[in-house]
Amino acid sequence: MLSDSELLRYSRHLLLEDFGELGQKDMKNGKVLIIGMGGLGSPAALYLAAAGVGSIVIADFDCLDLSNLQRQIAYKTGDIGADKVALMKQRLEQLNPEIRVRSINYEMDKEQLLMELMMTHLVLDCTDNMESRQMINEACVQAKVPHIVGAAIRFEGQLMFFDHKDPESACYHCLFPDNEEQALNCSNSGVLGPVVGTIGTLQALEAIKHITGFPSAVKNKLKLFDGKTLEWQTFAIEKDPQCSVCGNLVGTKQ
Amino acid sequence: MKVNVNEKLVEIEESSNIEQLLVLLESPLKGSAIAVNQKIISRSEWSRYQLQENDQVSLFQAIAGG
Repeated sequence: MLSDSELLRYSRHLLLEDFGELGQKDMKNGKVLIIGMGGLGSPAALYLAAAGVGSIVIADFDCLDLSNLQRQIAYKTGDIGADKVALMKQRLEQLNPEIRVRSINYEMDKEQLLMELMMTHLVLDCTDNMESRQMINEACVQAKVPHIVGAAIRFEGQLMFFDHKDPESACYHCLFPDNEEQALNCSNSGVLGPVVGTIGTLQALEAIKHITGFPSAVKNKLKLFDGKTLEWQTFAIEKDPQCSVCGNLVGTKQ
Repeated sequence: MKVNVNEKLVEIEESSNIEQLLVLLESPLKGSAIAVNQKIISRSEWSRYQLQENDQVSLFQAIAGG
């Protein structure tokens, strides 16, 4: 049951066709792990907290730096030097006291991540480096937890959704099999705030849709966003039977 | 024959595969992803996947920023 204050807080959801009170109850029962509290994680966490995802776990081990503030819109100049997850936890609790927020302020290894995955329904990869992305993918494949991947640099964004509950699902490694840190990131290439914000916002949108049972338009797809032309390209990703992360699961299933 | 790579026409030899195209373009193999006609081609297929005339090839880099 939703309380009177929840009915009012979420009234604009309740007015939505196909969402309603049932959708909001799904949201209340929803559990999301957001890894990375930077330019993607800022809007993703704010939107999911505002929308009433009942349990949100946020993870990051960085302190807020002056150079973060150009795009990481959850934070203030006066917060520089403080733990990002501590700042974000406070921000989310102030935004919506109806939800539970837990923070993880250390770098998780795969075992710790797998433990967290037992307690969540969905992962948002909002990290800023390839090594973390590959580890999150491996853990999500192993634990069969769906995961929504966002990434951005310069004027470009990438968005993907892999539902690892489906054994035929592709994974991040099918698309990007290089584990070593070759990939471009914000500190070596620069990025525009609204570009990374657009992708983080869409991760939140896909998360809400997943929690409330709407089909996703990005499952096993890669969406490329060009911030200069505002054009999107969409590519289908098929499971690579030779993938060293998800490929062998097909064999063991039979 | 001609294929279209990121909106530019590129002349390649008949029955070239993706790996040969990347060598021709002097594009790094690492960190790259390739789609042909809006479908991602896995790295493990690159040396086998034969390109056809007028294929729409999209070549892009993995990005990790966030």
